[in-house]
Amino acid sequence: MEGRQEEQLALSRRRFIQTGLAAGGALAAGSVLAACGGSSGGGTSSAAAGSTAAAGAASGTGTEDLKGTGQIIIGGFEDGALEPFKKVILPLFTQETGIKTQFLLEPYDSFFSKAFQDGTSKSGQFDIYIMDDPWIPQYAAGGVLEPLEQYGLTAEDTYPAPFIDLGFWPPKSGPRVKGFEDQDPTLVALPTIGDLQTLTYRNDVFTGGAPKTYDEFVKTAGDAQKAGKIKYGYVFRGVKGNPIVGSWWPVMQSYGADMFDDKWEPIFNSAEGKASAAFLLQQLKAIAPPDVAEYNSDQEGAAILGGDAAAAIQYSGAAIKSDDPAQSKAVGKLDFGVTPAQTKAVSQLGIFIHGISSGAPNKDNAVIFCKWFAQDRIQIELARGGDLPVKRAGFEDQQAVSQHRLLPVALAQLDSGCTPRPRTPDWSEAEVIIGTALNQALVKGTDGSAELDQAAKDVKAKLDSLGYY
Amino acid sequence: MADVAAERTRPIERVRGAGLEKVLPYLFLAPALLLVLAVIAYPMIRGFQISTQFYRFGRPLRSVGLDNYREALDDKVFRAAVWTTIRYVFFAVLFETLLGLVLAMLCVRELPFIRAVRLVLIIPMIVTPVIVGLVFRLLYASDVGLLTIISHNLGGGDVGLLSKEGSAFWAIVLLDVWEWTPLMFLILLAGLQSMPQEPFEAAKVDGASGWRTFLDHTLPLLKPVLAVAIVLRTLDAFTTFDQIYVLTQGGPGTSTQLVAYYGYDSFFRFQRYGFAAAMLIMCALVLLAFSAMAVRMLRRMDR
Repeated sequence: MEGRQEEQLALSRRRFIQTGLAAGGALAAGSVLAACGGSSGGGTSSAAAGSTAAAGAASGTGTEDLKGTGQIIIGGFEDGALEPFKKVILPLFTQETGIKTQFLLEPYDSFFSKAFQDGTSKSGQFDIYIMDDPWIPQYAAGGVLEPLEQYGLTAEDTYPAPFIDLGFWPPKSGPRVKGFEDQDPTLVALPTIGDLQTLTYRNDVFTGGAPKTYDEFVKTAGDAQKAGKIKYGYVFRGVKGNPIVGSWWPVMQSYGADMFDDKWEPIFNSAEGKASAAFLLQQLKAIAPPDVAEYNSDQEGAAILGGDAAAAIQYSGAAIKSDDPAQSKAVGKLDFGVTPAQTKAVSQLGIFIHGISSGAPNKDNAVIFCKWFAQDRIQIELARGGDLPVKRAGFEDQQAVSQHRLLPVALAQLDSGCTPRPRTPDWSEAEVIIGTALNQALVKGTDGSAELDQAAKDVKAKLDSLGYY
Repeated sequence: MADVAAERTRPIERVRGAGLEKVLPYLFLAPALLLVLAVIAYPMIRGFQISTQFYRFGRPLRSVGLDNYREALDDKVFRAAVWTTIRYVFFAVLFETLLGLVLAMLCVRELPFIRAVRLVLIIPMIVTPVIVGLVFRLLYASDVGLLTIISHNLGGGDVGLLSKEGSAFWAIVLLDVWEWTPLMFLILLAGLQSMPQEPFEAAKVDGASGWRTFLDHTLPLLKPVLAVAIVLRTLDAFTTFDQIYVLTQGGPGTSTQLVAYYGYDSFFRFQRYGFAAAMLIMCALVLLAFSAMAVRMLRRMDR
């Protein structure tokens, strides 16, 4: 009896162990594969919904025609810049049109993939997507966004051209990806909130105002650092991928370099590109925090707002925190200016942009929202609420300018030079390759020349495999 | 009374009569089987199907057979990610096993407050991985991190663990060890507690030293449990994602880029569904092979 019990125990233990292993293996494999098995269903953009009363309403006019019932679901990614939009604009929209809003926010990467899946599978989770402008090529090429002109929404000339051009697919200018060479540019999205890089600098370090050139910038900031006036002369984002490419962008463009030529050949490793990379990786790094390779926007913000850094080139959403005593220890000491120039003063443009989902369950209301939001007076409300508008009327409103001193600087930057990221659905992959190369050079302490050459080869091979050439 | 008994046996007889006797167990198993098929088999089949397609702009354009597998094998970033993952898993599981074993040996005895100590020891395991990543970010960050603050107080400089390729790798290994040693501890503690006491009592009578007893009795008896624990942790560590996403995003360079993170990037950010699926299926197959080998090894141990 005892022996049999022991045998049973041994048997059950063996079985337990074997079953545990098998189940563990299956679960691990299952979880890996489940990641691949996610819906990626195809489907093209659905045909336009039937005409609506709202569709006939004239754009940019009063609100008498822009009325509706029910609700719209707006999705976006978490960003401080969407706070005034949420607090000021959405309640006003409900008040004026009678349409309720649901505003769903998710982390950046999560919303990017979720909204794309929603659009391709037409699951109808959202009516309107508020996107980052580099998403437009992927979303539009994937048929996720409704063409807007059929609803009477147009690219009004009251939008600054650099903003409204981002709403077209294929792009109105520059190289085009294969399959879209001969298509007419179609308006698929409208600018929501302006966002671009400007210089935030300490007025007790740069006493003569914003430095005009990068050489002047480095000298003044470096001297102040050596004199112990400030801990770091400059702070930038050094993390691989998008952060360091964003930091390099204004320097690279200012040196006269660019990412691609008209045939999608990588040219960022040109002589100008390498010189600009060397400037970032050596001269700017020398006056930056020693571990800047791990700095992302939160650490960059902490350094400039905490009073440790003399300057940073950052997007508007981060810059506007400078005057907020709850977030900044350097209130009154930080001013804004156009980015320095080497050959020209150019920064990166990265606006919020909205489009109607091709699977929108409340398409009529979404059209009403787009028309309502495009009015100049709403843009003025947006500017007064603390966001960067996307129409000149918002930039030029005296009340808004008196409340938010970044507005005229942003407009000056826009007029001076502001370029968007390349209009290709494959930019994010190219950006990771370039950003990894720059980050590696930053860590190793090289000038980035060899790394950029290798990155150019890798980007070209990647684009080649996708049929670019 | 007899009638009642006869009435009760009738349905069984009917079943036997209908020849369903053999089918009945399978019918009972069917719901569970269907569930397993839905949650495990379908994603696997769908994953494989995706891996044979060329996707562009989120849509499958054409079937490419095994080209995505070839491309993945040729991809130097994938190969680097595999190598980084192997090193990561090896060191993390090694340290977790050793530490878990030591802790289990210390906590197996019934000492005062030992239950409270055991409870405290398993806390890291129950914290959400993303939160663990955030906590370690606050620990490691070179500007406001706790390590930097301590270093400054001791007269040192910034501690930039995440800004150098070598230290960043060890930083994520350390995070994993902190989070998952408790799992090893729990499994090994259960193994130690279920051991028969006779061999240990005999060894004591024979005057064997603690080390000798550990080598001759504890370790051999613990081997099957140890093997299960190592295999389970290895499988789990291979799919580490959250902490990397929060802490390093695979950097600096590609020093902390694990397969799961590269798969995520390829699938969700770059929308290269076929390529990502091929990559992850290859990893899944390797893991399955590893599990199969471990099962065989355990069978041998049991014999």
